[in-house]
Amino acid sequence: MVNLDQYLKPNQTEYYALGLEGSANKLGIGIIKHNIGQLTTLNKAEVLSNVRDTYITPAGEGFLPRDTARHHRNWVVRLIKEALNEAFGCGLHDSFKKLDCICFTQGPGMGAPLQSVVIAARTLSQLWGIPMIGVNHCIGHIEMGREITNAMNPVVLYVSGGNTQIIAYSRQRYRIFGETLDIAIGNCLDRFARVLKISNYPSPGYNIEQLAKKGKNFIELPYTVKGMDLSMSGILEFIESLANDLFNGKKNKLLIAKNGTNGTNEDEEKITIEDLCFSLQECLYAMLVEITERAMAHVNANQVLIVGGVGCNERLQEMMKIMVLDRNGSIFATDERFCIDNGIMIAHAGLLSYRMGDFTELSESVCTQKFRTDEVLVKWRDD
Amino acid sequence: MSVEIIKRVEQLLPYHDLKLISQGAEALVFITTKHPYLPKNYKSLDLSTDADSSKYIIKYRPPKPYRHEILDKQITKSRTASEAKILNKLTILNFKTPKLISMDAPHGLIIMEYIGYDLNNGDISSLKNHLWLLEKQQESNNYNPNVANDASVESLLKMVGERLGELHLYDIVHGDLTSSNIMLIKDSESETGNVEPTLIDFGLSSYSSLSEDKAVDLYVLERALISTHPVYATQYNEWMLEGYCQAYKAQKSMKRHVEVIRRLEGVRLRGRKRSLLG
Repeated sequence: MVNLDQYLKPNQTEYYALGLEGSANKLGIGIIKHNIGQLTTLNKAEVLSNVRDTYITPAGEGFLPRDTARHHRNWVVRLIKEALNEAFGCGLHDSFKKLDCICFTQGPGMGAPLQSVVIAARTLSQLWGIPMIGVNHCIGHIEMGREITNAMNPVVLYVSGGNTQIIAYSRQRYRIFGETLDIAIGNCLDRFARVLKISNYPSPGYNIEQLAKKGKNFIELPYTVKGMDLSMSGILEFIESLANDLFNGKKNKLLIAKNGTNGTNEDEEKITIEDLCFSLQECLYAMLVEITERAMAHVNANQVLIVGGVGCNERLQEMMKIMVLDRNGSIFATDERFCIDNGIMIAHAGLLSYRMGDFTELSESVCTQKFRTDEVLVKWRDD
Repeated sequence: MSVEIIKRVEQLLPYHDLKLISQGAEALVFITTKHPYLPKNYKSLDLSTDADSSKYIIKYRPPKPYRHEILDKQITKSRTASEAKILNKLTILNFKTPKLISMDAPHGLIIMEYIGYDLNNGDISSLKNHLWLLEKQQESNNYNPNVANDASVESLLKMVGERLGELHLYDIVHGDLTSSNIMLIKDSESETGNVEPTLIDFGLSSYSSLSEDKAVDLYVLERALISTHPVYATQYNEWMLEGYCQAYKAQKSMKRHVEVIRRLEGVRLRGRKRSLLG
């Protein structure tokens, strides 16, 4: 066990951290509290506040970096005030003195939104004279997932709008065993939602899930697992063209489902948008579960933790559960408060590295769009 | 869970006494003593085979309950069929692999020859087990004699490279190379125990003439060696690549070899593929 209290200040019994997250279209601010000593099931991290604002674009449109950054700049001050007020219940001038550190997402993510949040973090750090800590977004998800679910040493499936990775811990690094070779799963779902012109509120993936619940005909889509990696751009292309044919009323024999065995016209049924959503989900999630199973067999693990925005999906959780139970393992997943990008996970992961004596100098606080999960040395674990 | 699956195989293949020998993420491997269709006590007249004719391997891909039924059927069928096709093709090409005996693609069954033997500690003779046994012996002997300099290991890994080179010269890529997917067989002619490596498990194989795919194959093996034999991997890999070069030299296609190795450098450097530090 690593001693997490090597850098304890005199008379200190607890730590507070502010986390700022804005790597994509969500701006999340959170404040977390750790008591001194090891984090165990009896001594858990305490979420003091977790506020979030999502930049929602009209149906059929994605979020552009410039507009998203403007959204974050407009909201960051209001949200920080709200978070501090919720956590400490006193004015700004009294509450910031309790904070030990300010944590921000250093990457990976979209450049412009990251930049706008880093500026807020730098300003606060200078203003209040509090050290700041750059956090890898993926590590934030993993550490928060572990803390919430008490999973000890799981295989982590990290699925979100920008990332699709299968990760396992080994010798102080979260190592990537498999990942997407092109686009991320959330990106694939978002872009399909744009083709269907369905609402981006609360999130495109959620709306696809609701439509998929009504679908029943399965259409065969390309299935592209490559060892422990996967590829999704071809599937998107395929289903996009199907959807376009459906909208334009073009004839396509794939758009007719045959239910009966005698092949008469009465048994034929037109494929609907719901069926497309259903098939897309079934295909993509089967691929994810398959690579997770491969990784579990490879590293001999029996716990699975699902993190990231797509991890909220109930169908994915259900499929994963069937697989994991078959292997006599257990599955851990969190709800939307912690699955979807949030500030609290940044605060939590940042506070862990703060407790190990790390912080980011102002001159090193540059954010980066490419920041791999396995680049971070996990000092707070030694198993 | 495995009890249920074994029951299902027993239903599909009655009269076969099955012994589970390995369970991966995708398939289960059983050993049986009964040939699927030849009469009992039938002795093969085909002397070219080194296989132990009293044992057979059954590879079974169970249905995955988490997948949609149609999708599951399609995947099981296509993967089983493609593996069987490649095994058959390799036998025709006279490339040493377990020979295909029978298959049932819709049910995900492949029956093939048994190859390999039991190691001194009772494990099956995969390259991984063989090397682990030697490595353990060496560690208990205080690194003396040194496995990493042993001539027999050197020639073994060179042969692995040669085999892989031959496979790539047929424009087939393996797709899932690890040291446990390489079996050792005893040379039938010499009783002294000369062992020879054989590639197995062509479940993810495909035809490809691209040097990119071949380079990825080499890279996957390199990564697998590093994660399973961390101390000696560099040396092992060097020998393996030497053997790989030999195979191309024998076919006088050094041009293609240079191309693959150049690609390999690229694959190693590529950012998107895992930059597993340390």
